[in-house]
Amino acid sequence: MTRIQQVLFELDGHYLGHPYAVTGNALYNALARRVDDETRRSLRVSHGVFVPGEYGEYPAAASQDGYAGKLGQSLPEIASYEDLFVFRDAAQRWLLESRPRDAHNVLAVQDHGGRLAVDDTCWFGRPPGQRNRRRSMSWYVQCYVHADRDGVLPVAEDVLDGISVGGARNYGFGRLTVADSQVVDLDALEYSRVRTAAERGDAFRIELMTPYVLATEYPGGDDQSIPWWWRVESGELRRRETRLADDGESYTVNTVDHGQVVRYVGDDPVATAKNGVTRVGTHSRFGFGEFRLRPACEDRVPERSGMEGDA
Amino acid sequence: MTDSTGAAGAGRDSVDGEGETDVAPMLAVYRHDVHKLFGRSHASARDRVHGVRVNETVPHGADRDAALLSRPRGDPEQTLDAYASPPRVSFLTGEVVMTGGLRAGGRDAAVRKLVRIEDAEAMHEAWLSADVPALVNESVYYPYTSLKYHTLLAAALLDNYRAGFAFDELFLVVEETDGSATPHRTVLSTPDIRLEVTAEPGDRPAARLGETPTRCFADVWARLPEYPFDVSVSRRWGVLDAQLRRIRSWSAALQFVAEYCHRFDPAGDAGRGGEHGGER
Repeated sequence: MTRIQQVLFELDGHYLGHPYAVTGNALYNALARRVDDETRRSLRVSHGVFVPGEYGEYPAAASQDGYAGKLGQSLPEIASYEDLFVFRDAAQRWLLESRPRDAHNVLAVQDHGGRLAVDDTCWFGRPPGQRNRRRSMSWYVQCYVHADRDGVLPVAEDVLDGISVGGARNYGFGRLTVADSQVVDLDALEYSRVRTAAERGDAFRIELMTPYVLATEYPGGDDQSIPWWWRVESGELRRRETRLADDGESYTVNTVDHGQVVRYVGDDPVATAKNGVTRVGTHSRFGFGEFRLRPACEDRVPERSGMEGDA
Repeated sequence: MTDSTGAAGAGRDSVDGEGETDVAPMLAVYRHDVHKLFGRSHASARDRVHGVRVNETVPHGADRDAALLSRPRGDPEQTLDAYASPPRVSFLTGEVVMTGGLRAGGRDAAVRKLVRIEDAEAMHEAWLSADVPALVNESVYYPYTSLKYHTLLAAALLDNYRAGFAFDELFLVVEETDGSATPHRTVLSTPDIRLEVTAEPGDRPAARLGETPTRCFADVWARLPEYPFDVSVSRRWGVLDAQLRRIRSWSAALQFVAEYCHRFDPAGDAGRGGEHGGER
């Protein structure tokens, strides 16, 4: 049985950390000081994705249909593999068409003496003379934790609540308060879309949800090559250098950047799909190496169907 | 742009005919939405402005396809509460970007100069650096979109369609910033970033747009094999990259790049050694 615990935090105060996501490393370090040694050793933490606290509707691939109310302010029920990813794509496809969805999804950036911070609140509808029509929206962060032994999950709410992440966190920046939490058993989920496509002999693609580590300066982390079950069809995969901070030291980490798509050439799609949730490769315990497996006929942009492979 | 309900993704497959414009098509495409620069609807727009023919239908469905890159298909509806006016609203500030009217502050003269250009390549260059069209949205229902980048996208699509390419053959391409822009196909040009929409990427970093025009900027951007900037050099480039993975409307995204670079100067920030630390 592989269980994960999804956690939705509300961002409370400006955030001065990693711009793509609150890294698993940041969340891990914030949690590690609140738990015992054994839990600390077994805990694995994903990246935290920024989610707007806004109205939405379930994406086409999700097991629930239609209007979802303020979807971004709580965790949607998880019945299928696809449900795990409702909040994991930065483009947040569930945002309502009838509202300014891109404006809801762009992080509100504040300049703090030359350093750009993400605001925890975003204001809308303030044309001149319309002050009373102002409306605010709060930002949330969704992550999930799992453990390599029983008895760790669920992590108690008072352990999760009030952690701080990112720069200037000792000055009230990047405080996260728990909005919702739920435990999901990966083995009990519905994988029918993946299974059906596999039975039809369809091709699959892998979408990198977080960077995949190729080389690291961090002690104990091995360099690794691109997995054999990825097929890069044309061109190069974009690389990105990032840093891993630990105990006051900063280590350079070279990665395959997230957001890219490769063809899957392995032979066990359902098992691979599950592995993508618990992540693969070096530093997977800190959020690196998360991916989504998707039948090649299903475009990440549903309105753009039947796209030829160019990964 | 009045119709976004028709079949899309056509390109050369739905040839609306060539030579249906009074002036050369590659001039007419830059003038097709000039009525919006005067805050008028297409229906009440004039056919001539400052003595030149404007508001002509763009051939090959390029206007419709460009619109579908930035706003939804079907009947438009007001998306921002209590706001339905031509001045654009900024993602960066949440504010309306224009104060005064469309004719204030020399804007009228700037528009006159812009629409009167008679050389198509000079017209493209002028639009790449034009300020006034960036103050206006492409639809009052979608106030974060940008008339400037809608027009440049329509021109890029039209130029590709006229060369015989279909929409599904197009790429977003990262161009070098030294040298000159590619006529009609460069859709964004700042001192540090130049992007092109073309069916002829060559060996430059490129990502496919997909089968049909839809709001997919975030996805195309995320799949580029190389970025025009180095996110490890300046955190400000990283913040921009992170934002571009969140924006689906093409004209709004391109406008955001221009506005963000103007305000935060990420390249200058990199020159100062960037900003690192506290990022774990």
